[in-house]
Amino acid sequence: MQMAWKEVKKSKMKFLILGSIIFLVSFLTFIISGLANGLSEDNAALIKNVPNGKFYLNEDAKQTYSLSKIDVDQQDNLLADYNGATAMSIQMGFVNDAEDKQHSVAFVTSTDSELFPNVKDNEVVLDASLKDEGIKVGDILTNNQFSGEFKVVGFAEKQTYSHAPVAFISMKNYQEIYRVMEMQTVFIPGSDSPDSIKGLESFTNKEFLNTIPSYGAEQMSLNMIIWFLVVISGMLFAIFFYMMNVQKIGLYGILKAIGVKTSSLFSMMWYQMLLITVVSLVLSVGLSQLFSMVAPAGMPFSLPIETTLLLSVVFLVIGFIGATISGFQIKKVEPLQAIQQGEM
Amino acid sequence: MAIFTIDDVEKTFKNGDVSEKILKGVDLDLNEGEITALVGPSGSGKSTILTIAAGLQKATGGQVLFEGKDMTQMSQEEIRKIRSSEFGFVFQSSHLVPFLTVEDQLLLMLDVAETKLNKKQQKQEVLKVLDLVGMSHRKDAYPSSLSGGEKQRVAIARAIIHQPKMLFADEPTASLDSKRSKEVMEIIRNLTKTLQITTLMVTHDEEMLPYADRIVTMKDGLID
Repeated sequence: MQMAWKEVKKSKMKFLILGSIIFLVSFLTFIISGLANGLSEDNAALIKNVPNGKFYLNEDAKQTYSLSKIDVDQQDNLLADYNGATAMSIQMGFVNDAEDKQHSVAFVTSTDSELFPNVKDNEVVLDASLKDEGIKVGDILTNNQFSGEFKVVGFAEKQTYSHAPVAFISMKNYQEIYRVMEMQTVFIPGSDSPDSIKGLESFTNKEFLNTIPSYGAEQMSLNMIIWFLVVISGMLFAIFFYMMNVQKIGLYGILKAIGVKTSSLFSMMWYQMLLITVVSLVLSVGLSQLFSMVAPAGMPFSLPIETTLLLSVVFLVIGFIGATISGFQIKKVEPLQAIQQGEM
Repeated sequence: MAIFTIDDVEKTFKNGDVSEKILKGVDLDLNEGEITALVGPSGSGKSTILTIAAGLQKATGGQVLFEGKDMTQMSQEEIRKIRSSEFGFVFQSSHLVPFLTVEDQLLLMLDVAETKLNKKQQKQEVLKVLDLVGMSHRKDAYPSSLSGGEKQRVAIARAIIHQPKMLFADEPTASLDSKRSKEVMEIIRNLTKTLQITTLMVTHDEEMLPYADRIVTMKDGLID
């Protein structure tokens, strides 16, 4: 360990370069992860906020919630049979404020439920992000397809759907706007929710997220970038330590000749890898958390500390693998070869 | 009394279908505390026999006995242990660790040899040995700031600090001028005599031969 630390101290620039590369790659990974998570929240917070359970869509809906219509009798039976079951509908739309300014929203309605705000007719509960657009409690909002007016009675935190703030309205108002009597989906919470109900197709929360247009594609692209960056950082470790090891083959040979164990040489390399990675990760975790606090309000960015810690562990594992692969050279080094190479 | 015996050692190098016998049955006894100089023309096999004796490569045939134990039958780990605790090495180049100070080079060797000294005793021992080679005033220097002669003195100090029974020196003065070569050889002779270290040294330099107790000439893979 001492020898490893002494090399780091003596060759500061070399290790500083590797450290800064790891710092930049991990910082970029955390930022993209924050954006992916933020976009995911922005796209599907409404669904992500509900507890685990199953969503049921009409079998004829081709796994698209907007095409689904649950038969009213069947809905009543399900709500009666399963404790906590809720029927709900979601449709994209807009509301106009007093200045006739249009705001995109996702109208959500549901049967009586603890999962969503209970709103009376002609009332609306909005996602809190609409406060930033100047809407206050008591404001009156309108919709072209709705004969009445909505009075804003409250705001709900983090309730977005398909990148739009959610507007919770009553079933009666919803039915008037969209000229439909049936609800789109029934949600049954808990692990004992049935896998199949006649005429309906079941979806776990995660599966239901993928029925949201663009959700799957968006998340897949961002996650691919994240994992590419993780793999690239592993390769950087392997390449950097490979180059360092090539430079040090003579040294390793001499150390082996005087009796240093191969395992000690590996430990030296692992210690250096660990030191560089931990310092780089501490800096990038700190900076990304700071960014998370100062990120512009309109930017969908969410970076829980658990995510950064999980990614940090992945970086450490990948760094360890990369360094170890490059270290196979150490095992192959022959002392004699090093002695014959001359001065290091 | 022989502490080290090389008995009918052969070494054949293969290069594709072509094989070349470098050592053709070398016999050599090394007596305790004695300096043996191996001389001979290039390609005679003197460096090969030194590296086989030092456990740095394997013989194709024959026996290498250190304190009566046949090293050719030992595992790599057993040979490593002997190299770290019982052998010392001085090479043509000093081969010092570039990022360690002079003091650290020697402390590393004490760690590798697993001596039973505590940290304080180790530091005292390092200073003592550095005094013997006239380098205690440069204990905090890095190899890059040392002259060729100074580096070789440190290499000698590293080779003997753990008080090995054997010292293997392969052209230890080849990279030095005549004056420095004599200084280094005097140090090797004084130390090995004081500490009773048995030394096998390969050299081309006839000026170094007076420092040896015995001169063995090799020719065409055999002791002449």
